[in-house]
Amino acid sequence: MRNTWKVARWEIKRNMKNKTFLIGLLSTPVIFIAFMLLGSLFGGYDVDETRVTEVFVNDELNIFSELQMSVEESDLNWNLQETEMQESQVLNKLEDREDTAFLFIDESTVNEGLVSVYTTDEIDNFFMNQLQIFVPQIQSIQLERLNLSMEELSPFLNGITFVEETLQGNGENGNGEVTAEGGLTSFMERLVPGAFAGFIMISIVFTGMAIFQSASQEKKDKLAEIILSSLTPGELMQGKIVGYFVLGIIQSLVSIVFILPFLIWRYDLPIMEYLFVPELLVLLAIAVLGFLLFAAIFVGIGATMEDVTTAGNFQGLVMMLPFSPAIFIGPVLNDPSGLFAQIGTYIPFTSPGVLILRLTMLEEWPWIEVIIALVILVISVWFFMKLAGKIFKVGILLYGKNATPGEILKWLKA
Amino acid sequence: MISVKNVGKFFKDKKVLNNISFEVHKGEIMAILGPNGAGKSTTIRNIMGIMYPDEGSITFRDHKDIPRNKIGYLPEERGLYKNVKVMDILLYLADLKDYPLKKAKERALAYLEKFDLKGKEFVSVEELSKGMGQKVQFIASIIHEPELLILDEPFSGLDPVSQELFKEEIRQLANQGTAILLSSHQMNLVEEMADRLFMIHKGQKVIYGTMDEVKREYANFKCTIRGKNELSELEVLPEVQRIKQEENKSVLYLSKDVQPAMWLKSLPDNVRIEELVLDRITLHEIFIDVATGKNLILEAGELDA
Repeated sequence: MRNTWKVARWEIKRNMKNKTFLIGLLSTPVIFIAFMLLGSLFGGYDVDETRVTEVFVNDELNIFSELQMSVEESDLNWNLQETEMQESQVLNKLEDREDTAFLFIDESTVNEGLVSVYTTDEIDNFFMNQLQIFVPQIQSIQLERLNLSMEELSPFLNGITFVEETLQGNGENGNGEVTAEGGLTSFMERLVPGAFAGFIMISIVFTGMAIFQSASQEKKDKLAEIILSSLTPGELMQGKIVGYFVLGIIQSLVSIVFILPFLIWRYDLPIMEYLFVPELLVLLAIAVLGFLLFAAIFVGIGATMEDVTTAGNFQGLVMMLPFSPAIFIGPVLNDPSGLFAQIGTYIPFTSPGVLILRLTMLEEWPWIEVIIALVILVISVWFFMKLAGKIFKVGILLYGKNATPGEILKWLKA
Repeated sequence: MISVKNVGKFFKDKKVLNNISFEVHKGEIMAILGPNGAGKSTTIRNIMGIMYPDEGSITFRDHKDIPRNKIGYLPEERGLYKNVKVMDILLYLADLKDYPLKKAKERALAYLEKFDLKGKEFVSVEELSKGMGQKVQFIASIIHEPELLILDEPFSGLDPVSQELFKEEIRQLANQGTAILLSSHQMNLVEEMADRLFMIHKGQKVIYGTMDEVKREYANFKCTIRGKNELSELEVLPEVQRIKQEENKSVLYLSKDVQPAMWLKSLPDNVRIEELVLDRITLHEIFIDVATGKNLILEAGELDA
């Protein structure tokens, strides 16, 4: 174990002193941020602070001035106007507009507590929540009309509900009732840890690809015998895996230090609160197991060849394995609990990617599937580490030629 | 110091080492010789624990487990990490041998100075010339003050100046008590340096003994005569074991007990001599004979069996 740490420390130190690695380390988050900025530039996703939402109110109860006062008090970026337009005309009016909403406050508002809201496709994500500021005004009207009989008290007790009716609102999804605890928030709660775990996994898998290079380094530089005269092949292999794991963590941390403040500044979400939830631990465990699995495969295959440019078809195929979850992205997005999603969960190579994706999308976690998948992953990691150890032991001393799949099979049997 | 007993090793069904036994003592230089593919490197790898023998045993000071941090090793196939600093790699290799870093640093600096590499400690390995690289490799193999130093072809690819430097350093280490196991093709160097030697061919022991013993036993006198002489005339000369003739040159291999001065006097007057050299068979010739399968040595009988 001591020797494993020595190798790990050396790999870390060697890389941290290497210009190529340092440039990669710093450029990854910069590129990430640059793409996000570019994306919003071309996608017109301008979440600018100065964006004004036009709010037209068809007010049959004569409370417009009260509404206007509460808008001013709550410091919202709204341009509140009165309109005489009827509900039937609204759709045409909205078609060629952005950030516009129509509210219809009439008798039904008083009696049933419903306000019809029409919005354009493009509107502030939180608009429906912000509408809550009108609740006191509308309630006070309701109260005014009360005769204090139980029957008449009930609408007041029911509270006010804003019924969202967008342009597509005439379709089947029309009457999504948005309450203060909207679906958006709970989705963000799941997305943030999931995206975080996914990001960690991708960055350690990419750093893990460097293991590939590193595994054949001793061969290329003809150091294998010198190193192996001091420690066992197993220690060397483990040291490399541990070392590159730490490098992957360093890469992730550096990226997070850059990207997280950027995200918080840009999207104004309580990311830190969403991030540090118990689920994150499970997601991270999956990411780490994924790393160990691919690290074992890379270090084993890496030891069978002199360098990447001379890789045969077989080695090239194995290198593609970490990208295999891509096959399942489509089906999983369609149906996160479907058959393909489950198949992907149980195949060791695709399991980490598919699991992280599924758990991000699903509200209720399928715990039994998660546990089975974790058990499969742990066993696979153990199994592939063993195989890699066998290949590494022979491969590392094989100077000057690449091993064929046949030879590798023979070493495995030995 | 280290003792190899009846070691055998199979590669698949082929036996590449058969019943190999030898010892290396403290403060001596022991040479292991043999043509390519004879099993020298395999023997060394077995000692280093890079491979494990299928038969026999290897013990270090009568202990089965070999303390690798007490052994220094310079393999035949050797190199250094390319994109690191000289000092970093020396300290890493010393650290792997559990040698205290502070002492390692001092020794590294001292040796770099000794080998004319002063000021190169912060230079990247890829900027070194081949010769400099070999010096750094050599330093790496001795930085942790090993009790046993194994050098596989240490002189290959060295220029004469560096060769002399290495020879001097190896001798000094032996004088300080390091046991040295050296493999080489360069017979003249082995003859110059080794106290004892072990010759191996096709995985089998051929010769094993001290340099003096080997010379006394195998390096009989031979007489090379330039001039046209009939084979039949030379064959009748006393003490001649066999004759090799090509054109005008005859090589007479003399028996072990020959008295050189007396034998010269016994040469008949009719032998045509344009040039005559009387000397001993060199290690080089023994080596060539072994390698090409002419069993000159077997004729002379085995020593120290």
